[in-house]
Amino acid sequence: MQEFSPSTLLVLVPLLPLVGAILTVLLGRTLGAKAHLPAMAGIAAAAVVAIALLVATARDVGPAHGAHAEAVRPVEMISTLWNWASFDAAYTPPAGSPATDARLTPRDLAAAEDVRSFSIPVALRLDPLTATMLTIITCVGLLVAIYSVGYMHNDPGYPRFFALVAMFVFSMSMLVAASNFLLVYVFWEAVGACSYLLIGFWFTKPEAARAAKKAFLVNRVGDFGLAIAVFLLWMTYGTLDFHDTISSNGVIMPGILGQTRLADAAGYAGGAVGTAICLLLLLAACGKSAQLPLHVWLPDAMEGPTPASALIHAATMVTAGIYLITRSAPLFAACPGALTMVSIVGATTALVAALIGTVQNDLKRVLAYSTISQLGYMFASLGTGTLLGFTAAIFHLLTHACFKALLFLGAGSVMHAMGGVIDMRRFGGLRRVMPITAATFFVGAAALAGVAPFAGFFSKDEILAALHSKGWPTAHGDHHAAAAADGPFQLIAFSPDAAHATVTAPAVGLDALDRPETWQILFWMSLVTAGLTAFYTFRAVFMTFTGPTRVPEGAHGHGGHGDHGDGGGHDSHGSHGGHESYESPPAMTWPLMILAIPSALVGWLLFSTNWLAHFLSATPSLTAPAVAATATPHVFHMNLAIQGTLAAAIGIVVAAIGHLGRRSDGPQLERFLGPLQTLFANKFYFDQIYSALIVKPLEGLALVAALFDRHVIDGTVDAIAGIPVALGSIVRRSQSGLLQRYALVGVMGVLAIVVLLTWQLRG
Amino acid sequence: MNTMQSLPLLQNALTVGAILFSLGLVGILTRRNLIVMFLAAEMMLQGISVSLVAWSRYHGDWGGHVLVIFVLTVAACEAAVALVFVLQAFSRTGRLDAAAWQSLREANVGRTIDHELPAIDTVPLRFPTLTPAGVLPPADENEPLQREHV
Repeated sequence: MQEFSPSTLLVLVPLLPLVGAILTVLLGRTLGAKAHLPAMAGIAAAAVVAIALLVATARDVGPAHGAHAEAVRPVEMISTLWNWASFDAAYTPPAGSPATDARLTPRDLAAAEDVRSFSIPVALRLDPLTATMLTIITCVGLLVAIYSVGYMHNDPGYPRFFALVAMFVFSMSMLVAASNFLLVYVFWEAVGACSYLLIGFWFTKPEAARAAKKAFLVNRVGDFGLAIAVFLLWMTYGTLDFHDTISSNGVIMPGILGQTRLADAAGYAGGAVGTAICLLLLLAACGKSAQLPLHVWLPDAMEGPTPASALIHAATMVTAGIYLITRSAPLFAACPGALTMVSIVGATTALVAALIGTVQNDLKRVLAYSTISQLGYMFASLGTGTLLGFTAAIFHLLTHACFKALLFLGAGSVMHAMGGVIDMRRFGGLRRVMPITAATFFVGAAALAGVAPFAGFFSKDEILAALHSKGWPTAHGDHHAAAAADGPFQLIAFSPDAAHATVTAPAVGLDALDRPETWQILFWMSLVTAGLTAFYTFRAVFMTFTGPTRVPEGAHGHGGHGDHGDGGGHDSHGSHGGHESYESPPAMTWPLMILAIPSALVGWLLFSTNWLAHFLSATPSLTAPAVAATATPHVFHMNLAIQGTLAAAIGIVVAAIGHLGRRSDGPQLERFLGPLQTLFANKFYFDQIYSALIVKPLEGLALVAALFDRHVIDGTVDAIAGIPVALGSIVRRSQSGLLQRYALVGVMGVLAIVVLLTWQLRG
Repeated sequence: MNTMQSLPLLQNALTVGAILFSLGLVGILTRRNLIVMFLAAEMMLQGISVSLVAWSRYHGDWGGHVLVIFVLTVAACEAAVALVFVLQAFSRTGRLDAAAWQSLREANVGRTIDHELPAIDTVPLRFPTLTPAGVLPPADENEPLQREHV
């Protein structure tokens, strides 16, 4: 079966949605209400292929052997499609620059050629991380596409929406499959463009247009960081490839994340350059994943269609930052200061976004801030730099993609049924009229809040464990056995390597942040965030689905279940009998029910078998010695589970006291927060601060530039243009329209020439 | 010396040419009638042609003769084109006066009047008197056979 080799299949994953997108663009008008077919077929086929690739990769990795997953063989497959650009002798590294450092450059290369060539191969890679991401992207993409058939029904931009969704799936697949930093940059921008187009999908709404512009501009800041990081990577490592390449003369060119460099203990730049690269990558990740201080675009992005929010701004695109940092794990592992910054940014974002989320009344905004908060969790986990931290982040990414997509689609279902109303104070008690949406939303909320058997509980527990292992390293490690009897954390087993790595080198600058005290603070912040998450999630659940049943005016109810007939527009005032159904059409409820299953089960499945952690540890980036050495045995951290569950329980109970069974438009519990509520409701005044510090000065500068342009530059140009006009107005007076005068002037001219010639020839 | 190359003959011919040229120049500068101006320009051309022939004859070289034949040929064409222009100008304004075209002057330059243009004689519309033979063709109202001023 030569034609079904993994490399062919890998190309198919991005290619099929691309073909679907192109067909949708070409045939959209012809197909009309069936315009979703090409896009959906492309994404569905890509999902099947992605699952096949996942299975194939998992077979390569092999089953987990016992609790200790040691010496995992890195699994990767590179498929180079073509060479985009190639320059011989593009760059001679100046002596003394990091690129000529013999320690960073493998020995044979440093001797062989000092003049580097530059090439951009369009190479795709397949490894456990890519396979996992591809599966998430295509599967969530497929469910969202199915859901959109119901949600976007009768929208004038119906074909455009599906073309964009398919285009996004293509771009995102390429982003996670690209094996070159420049390609990553290209598709990093491509997903940004798709995001911009989908946020501004209803571009006639001024808010949507403004939100799209804001998302685009804020993302530019992060993309700028990625561009500089790519330049620095090229200067430092002399290549942008992830994988090793073999040049024509048989010399192995080590890629940045290739096996050669990974095996080299000193293969990665630390110090100022390394930290700069890592911090710039972090800046890029902050932009795309909406972390502080670049998080402001994500809540506004909720102006887009809800399925787009679910796919792009909850499940997939915003996780590109997590992917980038995980992929660059060896780079970060060489810079403990930068790693600590990742965690600090993540934990702070998680806490701040959760606090803002507690007072939002817009259901989609609550979910948006929750997304920011959960992404912060993943960043906090990544920043630990341990294998557990990286796998926990991807684990949480996976579970989050399931339950957050479910929650967003549920919110969209509510919004669809309520006639576009999304303010939670205007409806309530919907569990009686939208039973399927309510049940699935509850599952998603329980998963998000970290209630015990649901998916979020396990991934959050892993993240807390990763943070905890950095915060209290000395209590364990060598003293592991001794501490087992007395400490409250007796069940936790930690690697001794993690304990020693932090104390050996004298820390300077940013690296000085990497102290257990920092990690302890970060751990407590995360625990508080867990409680807040449970609170705002269930506050939203209680406000929307419990209490007296109320629906806003203009919502379309219909008598029976089943298809989405137009109920004729019942105007419903106040309390309702509870027998009329507002449930969404099956195209929308089926994806909800399908997503509810993994939201409930996937955490326990993946945690109990340790399958995902073992699978991901075969990713080349995570087999770097600095990362792989931190591998810990797979343990269930009972005490952390208790702490996390306790935090969640407190949050849920407080939410229940405030909102369970009450009218959602009544006085709210949050009024007891006093001035803090104003602070949270104004989102910590981030938008106002940015407006005052950046937007207003820039507008002032633009005004000055405009005045300069209008008066100085245009004035000069006009003055120069005035010279011929002035001269012309003098000469123009001789244009009398009389032929005889013209002839006379001609004769005079000839005479003048004759006289002049005579004068010249005189001597 | 050959009579063909005698100096007096050359001098006489050049004098005639110069007189023709000067007359033409004066005519073109002083007359306002387009046809007369055109004739004056032709006269200047002939003056030059005469001097060309004279010099050619004096030097015993046929080049000047050949050139003059060319000039005559081109002048004939030019005359055809120029007369069409004159005719068109006349049919536009009903006058042959070059001053009637001074409205082509620059917008903010005043009109030059040495004396007013004479009024145009309006010729009454008159059909040609032909011996009736057969049927009088019906006059096509849409086709202006007669111009108002002509």
